Amino acid sequence: MTESKLSIVDLTKKYAAGLAPAVDRLNMEVEEGHLVALLGPSGCGKTTTLRMVAGLMDPTAGSIMVDGREITQEPVNKRGMGMVFQSYALFPHMNVEQNVAFGLQMRQVPKAEQKARVAEALDMVQLGHLGKRATKALSGGQQQRIALARALVVEPTLLLLDEPLSNLDAKLRDTMRTEIRSIQQRTRATTLFVTHDQDEALDMADRIAVMNGGLIEQFGSPIDVYERPRTHFVANFIGQANFLTITVGEDVGPASAAGERNYKIEVPGLGHFGAVGASGLTGRSLPVLIRPHRLRASLQPSASVQELKGTVEQVSYTGDTLSIAVRVGDEVLQSQLHTTSGSLPHTGDTAFLSWDPEHAYILPEHAKAVAA
Amino acid sequence: MTTITTENPVPGTREGLESGVLEAAANKRRKRTYLALLIPGILGLLVSFVFPLLYMVRMSFNEGAPDGVVIDTFTFQTYIKPLTDPYYWRVTLDTFRMGLTVGVLCLVVSYPIALFLVRSTSKYKGLLLAIAIAPLLTSAVVRTYGWMVILGTNGLVNTSLESMGLIGSPLKLTNNMTGVTIGLVEIFMPYAILAMISGFGRLSPQLEEAAGSLGASKFKVFMRVTLPLSLPGVFTAFLLVFVMAISTFITPRLLGGGSVQVLATEIYDQTTGLLNWPFAAALSVILLVLFGTIIAIYQRIVQKIGG
Repeated sequence: MTESKLSIVDLTKKYAAGLAPAVDRLNMEVEEGHLVALLGPSGCGKTTTLRMVAGLMDPTAGSIMVDGREITQEPVNKRGMGMVFQSYALFPHMNVEQNVAFGLQMRQVPKAEQKARVAEALDMVQLGHLGKRATKALSGGQQQRIALARALVVEPTLLLLDEPLSNLDAKLRDTMRTEIRSIQQRTRATTLFVTHDQDEALDMADRIAVMNGGLIEQFGSPIDVYERPRTHFVANFIGQANFLTITVGEDVGPASAAGERNYKIEVPGLGHFGAVGASGLTGRSLPVLIRPHRLRASLQPSASVQELKGTVEQVSYTGDTLSIAVRVGDEVLQSQLHTTSGSLPHTGDTAFLSWDPEHAYILPEHAKAVAA
Repeated sequence: MTTITTENPVPGTREGLESGVLEAAANKRRKRTYLALLIPGILGLLVSFVFPLLYMVRMSFNEGAPDGVVIDTFTFQTYIKPLTDPYYWRVTLDTFRMGLTVGVLCLVVSYPIALFLVRSTSKYKGLLLAIAIAPLLTSAVVRTYGWMVILGTNGLVNTSLESMGLIGSPLKLTNNMTGVTIGLVEIFMPYAILAMISGFGRLSPQLEEAAGSLGASKFKVFMRVTLPLSLPGVFTAFLLVFVMAISTFITPRLLGGGSVQVLATEIYDQTTGLLNWPFAAALSVILLVLFGTIIAIYQRIVQKIGG
């Protein structure tokens, strides 16, 4: 393993005695140059974590290390990080250039160098022509870019982004997403990015830390957390998910992914199907995850494939896709169809659901009670 | 609500669309309503301010004879004396100096309180604010007497300092400008705090955090972010306190014990003691014009600074 840029060890924040900690013995290693998304619902501790890394909040316990050096006790102004706030926090009494130059002034960079670096940073965010503008005369997207330029111009040890896209409208958010990602890759700035938007995290991050109740439920690549969620919460929070509680049957050999096995599974009362999962699950009762777009629904039964028979309860049409809710016994399963497929189901139709075994993933553990 | 009568063009018809007749009519009605609503205020101002002011200006060109007799005439006599006599120059200068000192000191002591109140996230914030402005519930006269007791030769301050052995003989804290200044600063603090709080709208903890994260020490954060953003409040508070200080009469009179002469006390003496109304009126006009000019210049400068 390469040397971590940022190490967080047992980081804990308790706001008040008696209250459940906002962040509970959190551990994380971030590699140099990576963009890591802290993803989770509000109140999961992601912003608290970011603020502790920034030095804006004192941890109750634990330590933070950057480049192997302990910085837990260092005041915010000595940490040399660049932070972009949710509301951008541009100084209203300074123009664009003065805002961007602020960090350089604090570092007592010579005037001429300041000027050159400010110009360079503004060019990077494509706002070189707005240097003399007052910040309040700028649009949300422009303010966002200035905030980014101001944070990056000091060549921060870490770039910290606190929900930077949440104040932008949907279209602009997509553009900025791509732009932040490309700037981050160009500057190779190791970045922590707080968001509650799973699409943002999947799209931008090298690694995602899915947080819940002050803990990291899973830390992995976007594909990992989407395809191989460790917990019910992760599966549910990232993307849409169908769960069926099944009994794992016979191990029928290695699956395509390393270390995984193909299993026969039994959906109680409904039949036998195939799924993949970690080794050694035979005999256990566990949830199996099938993403809606991988759950096939057809109006005709197939002769060759084992299917679940159900009734279409709800149909929602969004142009590209048709989402249907199918009741199978006590369960309601979501299926997503491309509108190109021949005949589209209607409410009340009988539908036959099936899936490829490699698209059904057996979660390694049961849904645990969600921590408060 | 306005209703559209049949005589008015109906929306969608040619006339209605072409010339915006409906909007014009509505605007006219609105304007008339505004004017009507202004009448009581304007009348009140006329009776209680504009007319007395004009009367005072006219009075200042009369001549005051002994025993309060006012000789109706038109003379600049009343203005010549205050403008040539060094005594009145000194009084005017003292008034100005007092306003300045009280204004600055009041800002210095009120600023931290105002900043604290704006930033506080305590659930007692409302109560703390109420306590800060509670002195307004007692009159300035009462508070001035309070200060006389505290600052007097045998007052709290002097006896405490003496018993601690810090001073040999009592400090002279009343019947002079020092006492007046101390009293006025305290009396005007609630106003200064309120004015500052209302002018601190641009302050935000996030801006200070941003400055900190960019490498600014606590001191630098204050100098580069907090202070500049709080200037509008500071300027307003200073102006308010300055204006109140130069026109106040009770505290200079009582705490000054007759040895502090400012324009307000001088005017009072001329009106009630010497009954020389034209002369008092002239002094009032001088106060008005002189300090009106100073305030106008001040406002200009403040606007330039961008407060």
